[in-house]
Amino acid sequence: MPIRWIDAGTVSDLRSQSIYHGLGYAQERRTPDTIVLATPESPYLCVGHFQDPARELDLEFCRKSGLPVIRRETGGGTVLIDSGQLFVQWVFQRESLPRKVEQRFETFIKPIVETYSFFGIDAKLYPVNDIHVNGRKICGTGAGTIGEAEVVTGNFLFDFDTEKMVQALNLPGEVFREQTRESLNKYLTTFGKEKRSQPDRKEVIEVYMAQCRKVLGRDFFDGNLTEKESKEMELIEEKWREEAGHFIPLSRPEERLLKIHAGVWIGQMKHAARGGFIESVIRMNENRIEFIKLKADAGNATAKDWNGLETSLTGAVLEREQLSDRLAKYFSSHREQGGFHIDDWVEALLRIRNEKKRVTGRE
Amino acid sequence: MSHEKINECVIPKDLHYSVEDNTWVRLNEDGTVTVGMTDIAQHLAGPILHAKAKGAGTDRKKGKPIATVESGKWVGPVKSPVSGVITEVNEKLAGDAQLINRSPYREGWVVKMKPEALDAELKEMVTGDQAVAAYKAKIERDNIKACNHIEGSDTY
Repeated sequence: MPIRWIDAGTVSDLRSQSIYHGLGYAQERRTPDTIVLATPESPYLCVGHFQDPARELDLEFCRKSGLPVIRRETGGGTVLIDSGQLFVQWVFQRESLPRKVEQRFETFIKPIVETYSFFGIDAKLYPVNDIHVNGRKICGTGAGTIGEAEVVTGNFLFDFDTEKMVQALNLPGEVFREQTRESLNKYLTTFGKEKRSQPDRKEVIEVYMAQCRKVLGRDFFDGNLTEKESKEMELIEEKWREEAGHFIPLSRPEERLLKIHAGVWIGQMKHAARGGFIESVIRMNENRIEFIKLKADAGNATAKDWNGLETSLTGAVLEREQLSDRLAKYFSSHREQGGFHIDDWVEALLRIRNEKKRVTGRE
Repeated sequence: MSHEKINECVIPKDLHYSVEDNTWVRLNEDGTVTVGMTDIAQHLAGPILHAKAKGAGTDRKKGKPIATVESGKWVGPVKSPVSGVITEVNEKLAGDAQLINRSPYREGWVVKMKPEALDAELKEMVTGDQAVAAYKAKIERDNIKACNHIEGSDTY
């Protein structure tokens, strides 16, 4: 059966999300597999199904800036979606996609990778479901079962408003915020950054369609939304509008873990140690410390800053033995340990990696 | 518990299965049933990061979601294999959703329910050797080479 192709063009913020939800809820056994392309006319923030918008976002900033917040019914993290992106949505019958989630993402990602490659960008799948260009993320994905349909979504990034994203996030402090800014600039890329000039969207869509045809081995037909699908979209938009009214802003968190991409994370953890606390802001890349800022207080600490220790720990892999060795070496020539044992420091530093493992299920 | 392994996927023979939705039902002595995801379901999903069940007291028809899970950016429902009222939710899943991966048939159960039409609905499920045969066909059809088990899984 051929695939229905819907190029929705530029649509409202809510509609860019409600299309695939509506298609999912309206899906019947005879509904064709459908690929939708859409670009929102204005920016908005979108959180994953299991995320709490108040923990993720500075809702006061979002409100003042006129940025709607939507909680989608697919997985993944917080994203800023705007007119600099081409949103790709697959709404398929269950048996049309691989049953294993990991393989489903592989199938979905392949035509996006090939399309970027066509435009001279060396994009590759970064397991499980990112697309990277030389260590920088160029596409995010999400998936879910909506109604009876299997849905997978992703995007082509033409441009990205880093500053808006940085301001919209609920972060613990300015050190963390600055790291987020720096990391997004360093580890997120776009058509614009890679090629200096952005390709024509129409051309991207044509190439993408050809790649989908190749990967899926199926024909396409230009289709429209049915009345039932449109009705479902309106219902979910209404639900989101109502839900947004109940989002209550939260104060800044003391601890936070933020994913920049699958390999790069920023964390701020406050570790209660014997006699005080050790607070760390760490950016890790493949579990290796790229940036670290420490604050420690055992009541009798004399150290004013930890610059030397931070330098000594930069580049270390966040694993017990290596951290212990570096700390022991550092403190053998620096007497001041802040009143803490080396074990306290190790436990404090490992918390970010442990937290990452807890939320991702992976090392 | 007697079980079969097909391509490393474990199928206990004393449970009743809704094969298409990859859920199982255990009949309890007090008239309730325990419901969970199969070993195949946990394999297909990958490491489960979140699991949220509908609350106790929720009335569900067969085929409607009794819980939602997230694994690796995919969110999906656990569909009820029976009609009835949820009487108990596995609270441990809120703090450790990977219990479903590690112990799909024991510690990782999802809800307990008081069924409303159990006799009729059990006829639509399979158990014992019939379940093994049904899953053998499904595993071939879905091209599952081997079920993956994360560290700390139940040993059979």
